[in-house]
Order: sequence, then structure tokens, then C-alpha cells
Amino acid sequence: MIGLVSYIVFFLILSLIFGVAVLGLNLQWGFTGLFNAGVAGFTAIGAYTMAILTGPARDAVFGGFELPFVVGLIGAMIASGIGAVIVGLATLKLRHEYLAVATFGIAVTIQLVCLNWEYLTGGTLGLIGIPNPSKAWADGPLAQNALYLLVVVVVVGLTFAALERIVKSPWGRMLKAVREDDVAAASLGKSPERVRLEAFVLGCMIMGLSGALYVSFIGYVSPWDFLPILTFQIWTMLIVGGSANNRGALLGALIVWGVWTMSGFVISRVVPSEIQAQGGAMQAVLIGLILVAMLLIRPRGLIGEELHVSRHARS
Amino acid sequence: MLHKFGLAAIAATLIGVGSTAHAADCPIKLGAILPVSGPMGQVGERIAETGLFAVEQFNEAGGVLGCPVEYVLRDTQGQSAVGVDAAKSLVDLDGVQVLIGAVSSGVSLPVLTSVAVPSKVVQMSCCSSSESFTALAEEGKTEGYWFRTYATNRSQSAIGAKLTVDSGFKNTAVIYVNTDFGVGLAKRFEQDIAKLGGSITSMVAYNESQQSYRAEVTKALEGNPDSLYLVAFPVDGATITREWLALGGTDNLIVNNSLRSDDYFQAVGSKFLQNLQGYDSAQPRLPSVDSFNEMFEARFDSPPNGPGLHSVYDAVTVVLLAMEAAGEITGENIRDNIRLVTSPDGVEVYPGPEGIARAKELLAEGKTIRYVGATGALAFDANGDVQAPKMTWRLDGDENVETGYLSTAEVAELIKMLDE
Repeated sequence: MIGLVSYIVFFLILSLIFGVAVLGLNLQWGFTGLFNAGVAGFTAIGAYTMAILTGPARDAVFGGFELPFVVGLIGAMIASGIGAVIVGLATLKLRHEYLAVATFGIAVTIQLVCLNWEYLTGGTLGLIGIPNPSKAWADGPLAQNALYLLVVVVVVGLTFAALERIVKSPWGRMLKAVREDDVAAASLGKSPERVRLEAFVLGCMIMGLSGALYVSFIGYVSPWDFLPILTFQIWTMLIVGGSANNRGALLGALIVWGVWTMSGFVISRVVPSEIQAQGGAMQAVLIGLILVAMLLIRPRGLIGEELHVSRHARS
Repeated sequence: MLHKFGLAAIAATLIGVGSTAHAADCPIKLGAILPVSGPMGQVGERIAETGLFAVEQFNEAGGVLGCPVEYVLRDTQGQSAVGVDAAKSLVDLDGVQVLIGAVSSGVSLPVLTSVAVPSKVVQMSCCSSSESFTALAEEGKTEGYWFRTYATNRSQSAIGAKLTVDSGFKNTAVIYVNTDFGVGLAKRFEQDIAKLGGSITSMVAYNESQQSYRAEVTKALEGNPDSLYLVAFPVDGATITREWLALGGTDNLIVNNSLRSDDYFQAVGSKFLQNLQGYDSAQPRLPSVDSFNEMFEARFDSPPNGPGLHSVYDAVTVVLLAMEAAGEITGENIRDNIRLVTSPDGVEVYPGPEGIARAKELLAEGKTIRYVGATGALAFDANGDVQAPKMTWRLDGDENVETGYLSTAEVAELIKMLDE
């Protein structure tokens, strides 16, 4: 029983951390229509910033400022934001699949920089010993994880509330206007370029926040955490949950990560041990099947977009 | 302010139960987290099967404390988040007290820091080579729960440096693969060679799977080196060597054991490699190794060639012996008994059902034992690392000729001298 509770806490931490990144992507793709295929790259920037700001000092590696956790979170968002401004200015003239290819390339580049810039990132060895704030406040793995879950829930709650607020604001309607028809939006005196950049930067900052939460929880960061598969997972979460709906984004994170992990659990229980070494392939097939089935049944995601009119326009 | 005690009390009340008891409930579960799919899938699958083979042999000898052992395998897909979740699920839902794995350090390390150490569960890897584990253990952050049966890079760089200096080379260029394995090895080599009186002209990292390494080779040629130390894998290693020789580099090559492969010799051409020397983890000259190889062939119809097979067999066998010795199976007890079943002055026992049955008899009599396994006698140091005997070799025509042999004790002595 205690084991089950402990595992659920752990599962919720990881899936909500993914959920934060999905919320960021939702702002970009769901509300603004920006095809960002570089999620892993911006998560990596946040993760490494957290590690550098809060981690212990190391020989021959920059950083180790041992700053408080909250400073790390804010720093991670700022660093990802700066990265996003640079990338955004360079690429946001591109649309759709062109933007996807460009951002994908940038994510791969960021991963390679993490791998090679040893002075900043510890290179392939990664950075170890990144503090998890809950360890100072609680004893025992379950209490520590429960406390960290609380932190994650607060961060998710704040992010969710802020996003809900802004997408219902005039600025949020402008995002949708740009997504649907940027010529029409421009004819109304809006600047689609500017709106796209703002949404892109804000979304990437939220992805950086997700990376920062992840490294503090795990206590270690390495370039191998930010391979393109991560981008794929975050995208799957958004599409399954329902894009342009923040609740859908969080639900998608829980469900897709649940499918991903529970399939392994089920296979380890069901498949006899002699052929478990082949179980990995079965797990991949199972994950694929469930995702395809969900998309066939709910093509617009589990919770799709809700239609909104301005609350001032209600009679 | 949240108080440590208060929070623990709240957590305990919420759940209603106190600590978990680990009496010998049959069957005893052994957790394995290995990459049986994904980029390391092919390697991982064979490792996973060999781990199961070790469990089967232990069960043939009557299992642990009269209980059969159940091998619960979870796939990491080579991804840290998936591996961490699998490990947590094994610990919390299956109640395992030992995790075997993972393969790549990028997965093993997150599992260690976020699951094994906080949950007080032993983690023993067959294959993770990163120096970060040793660093973490030295800081006391593994709390002794980390072990690996993979002989660390430490001895490889030491023997490489010794070979270089013994061959009379004074100025050595180093080209190495940019992975945790290559970086760790090259850095240690740099320190070791300085200690032995040689010197380095340049340290050049390369990224895997490129078409050409002309830029890296050109950089390594600066400073007129009289020898090249190459840490690479066969395909990229051959490209680098060809370009190195074509651009006028010396043919005094010292190569890492990963290049002791016919693919490499043929791709470059053996006739260009007559001044090449290398080293390798020697299979210890012990009957235990031969008997493992025979048992493996009988079971799988193929010899145990491939990374991690010998070391995963020993990882599983050592933890199961430690469980047997521990009596009550908790991570803490297993951790404390691992060195008692690999004690240098214990009675020697060997792999296979008979050897394990003998080991269990000795343990029941209260004797300490020394497991001499598929990788020879294992002796875990304070950081959970082991050393292996080493051999040096060179090419004579197409033949791979052994030129020297250092026993585990000699390797340990060399490292001690270099670390002082």
C-alpha cells in the first residue's frame, strides 16, 4: 500500500513536470499555431541553467553558485526566454513545416552544445549533485517526494492559472486571430510577427521551467536527457490531450506518460521471464497502438478547444 | 515552516503504515532495468538474457534462502525518465531490494540519485563506465548502494600510459571519442602519462559517425607528436587512422581495447599497423571463466562474445549471494554483505549451480567466501568499483599477439602508484 502511494507520488511528479512543458507547447501550437519541434532544446536550456545556478562548485566547470531553488527556477525561465528571443527572431518568418525543421535543427544543435561545451555543461559526464530542495525539509523518500510534488503542483497551478488568464485576455484572442488568419489580423492593425515572437518566447520560458523542475528532482543532468524523443513525447501529450486547451494539455501529459510507463509494468507482469528480453519491442508496439487508438476515437484530443467569445461581449 | 519531523509524521499518518518489512516472502524478486529496446536494444537484449541465465542457475542451486528468485525485467528504452520510472516502479510496486542496471551511465546515474539511494536499494550495473559514479561515491552521496562489475576506465588509462612510456614515446597526441567513456579515459590518461614522465601534445575529442575527421586529425598533428593514443570504436577509428597516416602522422599507435577488432584492422589494412600496440582487459586465467564460457555456450549455442555479458552474470550472482548471506533481505543488508561474499581471504567459490550450492553451504556454516566468477575474482573498492587484469598486445602480420600480462594485483599496484 505504502509502495503504491509512493509510486503514484513519483509518477505524478514526473508527469506534471512533463505537463509544464506541454502547457508551454500548447501556447505555441494550440493557441498560436507555431510548429515548434525544438521542445527538447529549450527544456535543456532551463535544465542546465538550474544546474549551474543551484549546483555545487566543481573543478574546471563553470557555475556551482549554490543559489536557492526559486532563483534557479526564475533563472531557467530567463535563460530559455533569451534563447527563444534569439531563435525566434531568426526563424519566426518561417511557417509550418519550415519552422518545424528549423526548430528541430536548433534543438539538435543545443543538445550538441551541451555535449561538447565541457566548461559550461560538464560535457558528456553531465552535472551531478544538483540539490533537491525537498531533501532539506523532509526525511525519507516518500515525505521528500510528497513535498516535491507539492512544489510541482504549485508551479503547475500558477502556470495554468496564468495561461488561462492570458489566453482569455485580448492578447489571447489576438493569438487565435494570428493562428487562424494572420492577414486578417494584420488588416486590423495587429502585428502578427510580434505576437508570434511573444507567444514563442513565453512558451519556451515555460519549457525551461519544466527542465529546471526535472533536474532538481533527479539531481543530475546530462545531454542524453534531451534527445529528440523528448520533443516527440511532449507533442504526443499535447495532441492526445487536446491542443488549444490547457486542461487537455495537462490531461495528455498524465495519460501519455501513464501509457508509456504502465505498458512496461504490464509487460513485466504478463510476459513470462524467458521472453521478457523481447518485451521492449512489445512495449513499443503497445504504446503505439494505444496512442493510435486514442487518436482514432478522439481525433481532436481528449478535450478539444472550447469556443470563446470575449467576456465583455456577453449580453 | 515545515518541520522535518512533522512532515514525516503527516506522511506516516496519511498512509497509516510505518516501515516496510522485508521478510523472505517467496518468490524473492530481483529487479533489472536494461535497455532492451531503443539504440542500445541489441546489446541490452543479450545482457538481459544473460542476467536471466544467472538467476536460473541460482534457482537450480535452490534459490535464495530456500526461495526461488524471480527476475523482473523493465525496459529503459535508453531514456533516463523511462528508466527512473521503471526503477521506482520495481522498488515501490514489486518491492525489489536490488536493481541490476542500467547500461548507459546517462540512465544509471539518475536512477541511482533519484531512486536507489533515497529508497536504500542496492544498484549494481554491469556496464556503466562514467567517472561521475566514482566522484559521487567519493562525496558519500551513493551511501554505498552503488556497485559495478564493469572494470573502470581507471585501469585502462593507467595501462595505456604505462605502455606508451615503456615504448619510449615522449610526445603523445590523444584523439578520443566524445562520450562519457572516452572523455573519462582520455582525461585520466593525461594525468597518468604526466606522472610516468611522458607528455601530451594535444587532446582532441571527436563526435561519432562523421564522414571525415580531417579537422580533428590536423589539430592532433600540431606539435609534432611521436605517438598517437586513440580511444575510438572500429568504424570511426578506422577513418581517423587512415586520415592520420595519410596526413603524415606517425604509425606509433597506442589504441584502446575498443579497437582490438578485425573490422578495424581490415578497414585500415594490417600492413599499416605493424607498429600498433594496444591493451585489453584480460580474461583472467582462471578455471571459473572457462567454466562460465562453457555453460553459456551450452545454454545459448553461441560463445559469450559481446559487451556486458560476463559482468552482468557476476553482478546478478554477487547480489544473490549477498542476499543469501544477509538472511533478512533489505537493501542495507545486501549492501553490507556484498564485500563478505567477495572477501579476499574467503573460501573460493565458482559460477554454476554446483559452485553456488557450495557457496550456500559455506555461508550456512558461517564462513566468508570469495566469489571468483565470469570476470574473475571481484574486489569492490570503497566506491563500489572493481579492477580487472590487463594484457598488452600488438599486430604481427595479421596476427594479434599478446606482449604482456598484468594480474589484478599488479594493476591495483600501478593505479595506487599513479594516484599518490
